[in-house]
Amino acid sequence: MVRFIKKPPKKKKRTHIEEKIDTNLGPDALSSSLEDNLEKLKSIYSNCADVIFRPFLIGHSSKAALIYIQGLSDYEEIDDSVLSPLMEQTFTVPANVKAIIEEKLTISGIKEVHTIKEAVEQISSGNPVVLVDQNSIGIAVGLAKWEKRSIEEPTAESVVRGPREGFIETLMINTSMLRRKIKSPNLKMKSLNIGKETKTQVMIAYIEGIVDRTLIEEITNRLKRIDIDGVLESGYIEEFIEDHPYSPFPQVLTTERPDVAAANLLEGRAAILIDGTPFALIVPVTLYSLLQSPEDYYERFLIGTMLRWLRYVFLLIALTLPSFYVAILTFHQEMVPTTLLLTVAKSREEVPFPALVEALIMEITFEVLREAGLRLPKQVGSAVSIVGALVIGDAAVNSGLVSAPMVMVVAITGIASFSIPRYNAAIAFRMLRFPMIFLAGTLGLLGIMLGLIAIIVHLSTIRSFGVPYLSPMAPMDASAMKDSLLRMPLWAFRRRPHLTGKYNKNRQAPHQKPSPTKGTE
Amino acid sequence: MHKTRKFFKQRKTVLTLLCFLSLFLLTGCWDRTEVNDLAIITAAGIDQSSDDTLELTVAVFAPKSASSSQQSSMGGEVGPNSGQQEVVRSAEGVTIADAMSKLQQKFPRRLFWGHANAIILGEELAKKDIRSQIDFILRYPEVRENAHIFISKQPAKEVLALNPPLERDISKVLLELSKLKIGMDVTAKDLSEMLLKDSGAAAIPYIEILPPEGGSSDNQTIADITGSAVFKNDKMIGKINTKVSRGILWLRNEVKLAVVSIKPPKTEGYISLQLLRVHSQLIPKIENGRWKMTLKAVTQDDISQNETTLDTTDPKNIKMLEHLLSREITKRIRAAVDQSQKMNADILNFAGAFHRRYPAIWERNVSQWDEIFPQVDVKIIVDANIKRPGTTTIPSKMNREVGR
Repeated sequence: MVRFIKKPPKKKKRTHIEEKIDTNLGPDALSSSLEDNLEKLKSIYSNCADVIFRPFLIGHSSKAALIYIQGLSDYEEIDDSVLSPLMEQTFTVPANVKAIIEEKLTISGIKEVHTIKEAVEQISSGNPVVLVDQNSIGIAVGLAKWEKRSIEEPTAESVVRGPREGFIETLMINTSMLRRKIKSPNLKMKSLNIGKETKTQVMIAYIEGIVDRTLIEEITNRLKRIDIDGVLESGYIEEFIEDHPYSPFPQVLTTERPDVAAANLLEGRAAILIDGTPFALIVPVTLYSLLQSPEDYYERFLIGTMLRWLRYVFLLIALTLPSFYVAILTFHQEMVPTTLLLTVAKSREEVPFPALVEALIMEITFEVLREAGLRLPKQVGSAVSIVGALVIGDAAVNSGLVSAPMVMVVAITGIASFSIPRYNAAIAFRMLRFPMIFLAGTLGLLGIMLGLIAIIVHLSTIRSFGVPYLSPMAPMDASAMKDSLLRMPLWAFRRRPHLTGKYNKNRQAPHQKPSPTKGTE
Repeated sequence: MHKTRKFFKQRKTVLTLLCFLSLFLLTGCWDRTEVNDLAIITAAGIDQSSDDTLELTVAVFAPKSASSSQQSSMGGEVGPNSGQQEVVRSAEGVTIADAMSKLQQKFPRRLFWGHANAIILGEELAKKDIRSQIDFILRYPEVRENAHIFISKQPAKEVLALNPPLERDISKVLLELSKLKIGMDVTAKDLSEMLLKDSGAAAIPYIEILPPEGGSSDNQTIADITGSAVFKNDKMIGKINTKVSRGILWLRNEVKLAVVSIKPPKTEGYISLQLLRVHSQLIPKIENGRWKMTLKAVTQDDISQNETTLDTTDPKNIKMLEHLLSREITKRIRAAVDQSQKMNADILNFAGAFHRRYPAIWERNVSQWDEIFPQVDVKIIVDANIKRPGTTTIPSKMNREVGR
């Protein structure tokens, strides 16, 4: 709404990130004077107490300096492999730094830096830079190392069966986890830096030969368009690359699991990994892929199919159960069995609110409890669950403010919404529940149908990176039902799902259904 | 220029949105009714109160006393059916609609017919005319077309005032009884169909108040189905007993629960057979101006009790039993047919069968049907099959004599 009332902001002239950095630092090449170089760097890093300038003598003769940032580099390695070989022996410093690299430094990750800008980039990302007097080339040593979280099981996406590792905040580790799963050199990682100030590294991972190349181009273009000062979480990126920014439904899939990312890459999707967050973005997605859990594929296919259907049914329940209850209780009392109506009438007798208000009170209370339970420190969490049990429970009914069947409805709805495996999809449906309750309370079943039609119309309009959101249901693709309505056995997934554009159709060899005769061959 | 256009476009969007939002508030809930504001009618009764007025009685569910009795029983106080869960009130009027509007004045809540599952008509009223009552039931949108219709011997008002010891209320009792199909099971829709049919005759379950068990108070009882009221041309012309009305059920393929006991010759005691399924047909025939009807029923039964020494595993005995059984069933059907011909009320809908088979002849004779019907030759063929001898194969009496 606000957008309609406010004037839209004037479009600013877009300045490319690279240019900005250039104007900040100057395009200067490193000069051959160490003094000059240091002066420039010190002016760039003015008031940066954590940037260390360590002057020393190479081979007891030539002046040099080591510049690094505290806590971002491996101190021991700097001492052992950089400072001691250069300082402890007496030798004449060669005119070219290359000779130093070749003879003295016992470090694998070495990079020459030619400009101040390059030097700053290296220092900022944790690689110490050695500048030598009389040399216009600096040496960046790849000794970046900082404290990071260990690899843990992702708590938001737990499975009974399946790998227990999850992405962490360090991009390098995350890409290595993907690489460990997909060893083919066709796994490509395209790197970009986003964020004027944070300069966050973002990687687009895809498998060459499986993915549609135009998709990667589109992703790259959308990412390059982003011009913000900082990227702190994948959400910052998500909102800038979505197709439909006003839709309540998520158009990218976020995952903490390398196995989920790898599986999606193998189906021809692309993953966007972002430094500083354990969440990878996967595009394009459909509604059905948001309702899948990795375990669908790890457990036997019958169970996978059953779980999927359970989720589809409970998705509908999560969206419509309270509104149905309200509609039937306020408009269509003749539609329920007599005994049920009498029971409900009995329990509603003392309730002072109309069903609509009662439902809203309970639903909002439930959402607040959920939110509070999520945000509170763990130590106080149990207090919330106790209060919650009282509020959505016996006490609520005994106090006469709500009726027992309503408590039941809200509880079932709550559980139903938790059965959706993706948090961002679940919360979209939870949010839509409220307009649905309003529609039910004002227009009855007619309102519910209107609401559902509106939601379905909206869902069939939106796309995620060119892929219709409801595919393979709309547009219909019968062969893809194997992996959306059902979960057929893995040996039946001969072809990849069609997303968009050209793609590599064949996933695996045909006729792999196991049978005893094949086993004895 | 461009800017202003854009500005208007945005304004338009905002206005459209506001219009849509206000739709909710404007339409908002005008026909909304909370359950708390409803007087849920579970059963209704209609009696003739004087020559031209009738009395409408409704049993309304009383959630307040129900919830309090529930709470008191939770508190450990176990009273025998403490607290009437129903409020029964009546009002008089020239039509049902008129009576209803007067009745509404006696209720603080809106009368809600959506769950009136039993509608009881007093015998006196039924003998006069029921078409106008059926008209209300079918015309008034809230009343269910699948509400069950009963004719009661006592005034409907008294039936509704009963406090059944086992079930929630009297409507539930009557509903369950008719579900068992021990008597006729007729809904408002069925009844109107019956009355519109060629025969113009109908049979509606006839209920009587069961005398209360010893020791319990006057209204601690139920009304049970004791037969069928027979209607012709919208008037009740008589009643038939349960046995005869069950004969009708046999022919209408509606029998669900039936136990037939037969007494085989040369032994003592009875063998009881339980009906599994029945399929019957009416086969009309007109020969040389004689109207004939063949009633054919194929039934399958199980033996449920054997008092005799007869070995029920012996095919010969089974054959004999099947023969006896079909004779017994024939007797029952015959009784129903005789009764209906005697009353000249075609409740078996022979008329429909003739109409379908001989449309041209029917058209010619439709006005004389009342004369023809009592004269129709009825032949009954019952093909009884005994499927299983039950879960024991030896009769209990044989154990003593034959068993070592």
